[in-house]
Amino acid sequence: MPIYLYIDRGTFVHRLHPTVKVFALFVMFWSVYWVDNPVALLPVGLVMLWIAQLTGSWPNFYRLRWLFAILIFTTSMMWLVFYQLGEPLFTISLFYMNPHSFSVPLGRFSHTFRWGGHPVAVNVTWQSIKFGFGRGIKLAELLATSVLFLSTTKIEEFTYGLQRMRVPYRVGFAISLAFRLVPLFIDSAVTIVDAQRLRGYDFNQGGPFERIRRYVPVVIPVFMGALRKANNMAMALEARGFGYTHEPTTFIEYPVGSADIAAFAALIALGAIYFLLYYTGVGGIGPVK
Amino acid sequence: MIAESETGFESTSELRLMWRNTRMVVLCAISAALYAAVLVPFKVVPLIPGVTELRPANAIPIVCSFLFGPAAAWGSAIGNMIGDFFGGVSPGDIFGFFANLVYGWIPYKVWQVIGRGESPVARTPSAILKYVIACLAASVLCADLVGWGDNLLVIRPFAMLGNVIIFNNMASALLLAPFILAAVYPRVKKGRMLYEDMMPEVKRRPMAIRIVGFSMLIAGETGAWLFGNLLSAGLWMPTFLPAAMMVAPYDKPIAIIVSPFILLAFAGLFLM
Repeated sequence: MPIYLYIDRGTFVHRLHPTVKVFALFVMFWSVYWVDNPVALLPVGLVMLWIAQLTGSWPNFYRLRWLFAILIFTTSMMWLVFYQLGEPLFTISLFYMNPHSFSVPLGRFSHTFRWGGHPVAVNVTWQSIKFGFGRGIKLAELLATSVLFLSTTKIEEFTYGLQRMRVPYRVGFAISLAFRLVPLFIDSAVTIVDAQRLRGYDFNQGGPFERIRRYVPVVIPVFMGALRKANNMAMALEARGFGYTHEPTTFIEYPVGSADIAAFAALIALGAIYFLLYYTGVGGIGPVK
Repeated sequence: MIAESETGFESTSELRLMWRNTRMVVLCAISAALYAAVLVPFKVVPLIPGVTELRPANAIPIVCSFLFGPAAAWGSAIGNMIGDFFGGVSPGDIFGFFANLVYGWIPYKVWQVIGRGESPVARTPSAILKYVIACLAASVLCADLVGWGDNLLVIRPFAMLGNVIIFNNMASALLLAPFILAAVYPRVKKGRMLYEDMMPEVKRRPMAIRIVGFSMLIAGETGAWLFGNLLSAGLWMPTFLPAAMMVAPYDKPIAIIVSPFILLAFAGLFLM
């Protein structure tokens, strides 16, 4: 699993202002959220494919190809079971649920809750297929959005974007520091795993839970190493004036250019179109008969 | 650093107050990074594909909560957000952020109420029982928030997410966290890096209020879990709601019935 997905290509998407990129993330979520119909989700999917081609993000999509496939398949299946509206195309009987009940004795507000006493079956309908597949595509598009964002945005750009969106400086700093510490901690863990293996410790013994438990001796040194760093890091930060309330200056400047304004306008238009698709009912899966 | 005039805050402001303490900010980032560092490699081991993956990392917020208190709460939320970036972000991750915030916030708050001065690494039956209660309280509200949020946005049904998350959280909290905590807690305590040492200015509310808060938390999260499951699986059709509302994906009934329980749980948490 790659830690950083950023691909340094220097395309116009890479050069966009960080705030525009964070805004693009929100607009993609917004657009995808309003529609259920797989056909209505197609245009925004095509836009993402175009951006992936433009930014050369295909290696990241290739790495996550199984995640995309699993996400679409399992989400479709899950909603096939839970969303059972419309005329059944066919029915799959699962089991008979015995009747159950429980009473809440609250005087005149007493109530008895009852459930069960009927066969449990999955009614596969045209609507449930469309809804389930639409949900699968929707989640895949959300994943694609985050892959595109990470492929084209550096961590410092992300935190800069958050700060411009009024996220407090200290919160932005903690997010940025955490992002940077992740690969360091993974590296330490890998070193400790190698050292333990050299000493003959077998991480692959036992069932799944036993295997996970065998990693406890790896987590403890990583944890203690991290805590040792914490004190020094805090002192270094305070020595550089981190304790002051005013916002610190930065070497990184991101001027707003014409491409940013054009991208911003295009994103507003995309968000508005998708809201209209919802509002007019075009983005839905149609009436349930 | 915190000015002298600002001492004596009550426990509810801990989450805000910790941002003024540089050490707590660093511990927040470290908690987040540790959580994400274990979370990211296991993104490829799905427990239920497309729903959730095997998350041994869920032991980290529990451990950090007992050590770093409010810094662990924010660290848990940020760490989960970083993890989400590697498995796909969605609007539902906003609920994931707050769910992980409470997952890192509840264990130490509950321990302050039921712990009665006992160490979380004590091996007495009562300490073990209290530890399980603290972890279960955190896991259930975390699951409620994600299940409720994802069902409101019609991303995934409550009955699917709500239960898987409790199982996942409790498996890590019971099988992994106690071992890590037993090894780390005495050292951190000796190094005076526990949250109580870092933020001595935080006052606790009177015990009676905290017990009321704890009861509200338990009632709220249990009610949310129960009714969320019954509604989203279509097993209970409340007669006081219009029949047109009682159709899959049950987002509106969940909004109307489960939301008050979630609010009750949060009100209890703030009182603690």
